[in-house]
Amino acid sequence: MFFFEKKNQKTFVFLVGVVTASPALAHHSFSMFDQSKVVTVAGTVKEFQWVNPHVVLWVYANAKDGAVPDLWTIELTSPGNLTRAGWTRHSVTQGDKVAIDIAPLRNGSHGGSLKKLTFTDSGKVLSAVGFSGQEKPGLQ
Amino acid sequence: MKMLGTIVALWVCTVPAALAQTDPPPNAADWAALAKLPDWSGTWTPNVSDQVRRIKTDPVPWTPAVATQIAALVAEEKAGNPRGLFVNCLPEGTPSWMLISHNALEILFSPGRVTLLGESDGNRLRRIYTDGRPHAADPDPSFHGESIGHWEGDTLVIDTIGVLPQAIIAVSEAVGVPNNGDLHVIEHLHLTGPDTLQDDLEIIAPHVLREPWKTSRIFYRQRAKKYEIVEGVCLQGSFIDRTDANGNTIFSPVPQVNGNPTAQ
Repeated sequence: MFFFEKKNQKTFVFLVGVVTASPALAHHSFSMFDQSKVVTVAGTVKEFQWVNPHVVLWVYANAKDGAVPDLWTIELTSPGNLTRAGWTRHSVTQGDKVAIDIAPLRNGSHGGSLKKLTFTDSGKVLSAVGFSGQEKPGLQ
Repeated sequence: MKMLGTIVALWVCTVPAALAQTDPPPNAADWAALAKLPDWSGTWTPNVSDQVRRIKTDPVPWTPAVATQIAALVAEEKAGNPRGLFVNCLPEGTPSWMLISHNALEILFSPGRVTLLGESDGNRLRRIYTDGRPHAADPDPSFHGESIGHWEGDTLVIDTIGVLPQAIIAVSEAVGVPNNGDLHVIEHLHLTGPDTLQDDLEIIAPHVLREPWKTSRIFYRQRAKKYEIVEGVCLQGSFIDRTDANGNTIFSPVPQVNGNPTAQ
C-alpha cells in the first residue's frame, strides 16, 4: 500500500493491487460487463456490502434538483482477494461522495464492475484489482 | 433360549464388523510421521492466467455432442451473455475447484488425512484419506467425491470417484458441462519449486470426454497474514444486512439477475 502526492494537483493516489485490463473475477463470468468501455458515475455511496462471492457497492448518481437519483449497482471481487489488495470493509462507507469508473453492464442497466473509485473530497483513489500482479509466491 | 442364541449370534456377527469400521486413535508415531511430509503450509493462490492458457495448450477432448454445447456456451460468453454455471452457489466440486478457482486454498496434514480448505462457494472442503483405506464399494455421491490419497515420495497422489453427475467440468465460470456420471479424477500434487505447487490432473469422464483429459494447475505459496484464508459463504451475497420490525439484525434477500445483484 503506497501513498504519494502529485504536485500541484493535491491528489492522493491510494494504490491497492495492480490495475490490469482484466478484473479479478470469481464465481461468475464478468463478460456481461463491457470491459472496453469506461463509464464514470459521480454520486453518493448508499451501501457497501462486504460479502462473498462479490463485494457490492451501491451508489446514488448525482441528480438535478428534484429528480430521483439513479441507483447504480457495482460489483467487485471477493473480500479475500480485496483484503490482499489492501481494501477493508471500511474502505468505503455510506455517504461517501465518490466518482466511480466502471465497465458498464452491456444490457444498459445501471450497473457495472468497478475499475476505479475516487473520493470526491480527498481525491484518494481506490483501484480494482487484477490477478496478473499476484501470480507469484511470497507476495506482501 | 433360542432367542438368546440368536441375540448372541447377532452380537458375534455385528460387533467385530463395527470394530473394523472404527478409526483407531492416532499415536505419537502417527503425529511424528507428519513432520516427514513436505512443507505445504501457508496459503496457496492460483495462477489464473495459466488456467486460461491451459485451455489452449491442453485442449479438453470433449465428445462431439458436448463440443457443440461448449461452443454455444463460449459464444454466449463472448457475446456478453455468460451462462452462470455456479451462481446457484452450489460448490464447484471436483475437478472444477482445482481447474478454475480464483480464490486461495490451504492444505492441512493430520494423521491419515490431507484436507484442502478454500474460500468462496460455501467454504470449499476436500477430505483426502491417506490412511490406506480402499475406495468404498459404492460411495454416496458428493460434490467433491471420495478421495483416497497416498504419498509417492513428496508427491500426493489422489484418486477421486463418487462425484455427483451434476458436478460440472468447467473451463470458466460460464463454460462447462455436468460430468454426467462415472467421473474419475487422478491427481499428482507436488512442489515444482520452493513455493510453487502443481496439480497434475487426469480427468476421466466417459460421458462427456472422448479420452482422459490431462492438464495441470499452478498455485503459489503466500505467507503474508493478509493471505490467510477468510470465510467465504457464497449465499451471503444473496442477502444484505437489514433490521427487522423487532430491531433484530437480519439478512434480507437481494434480488439477483444471473448472479448480479440489482438495485435494492
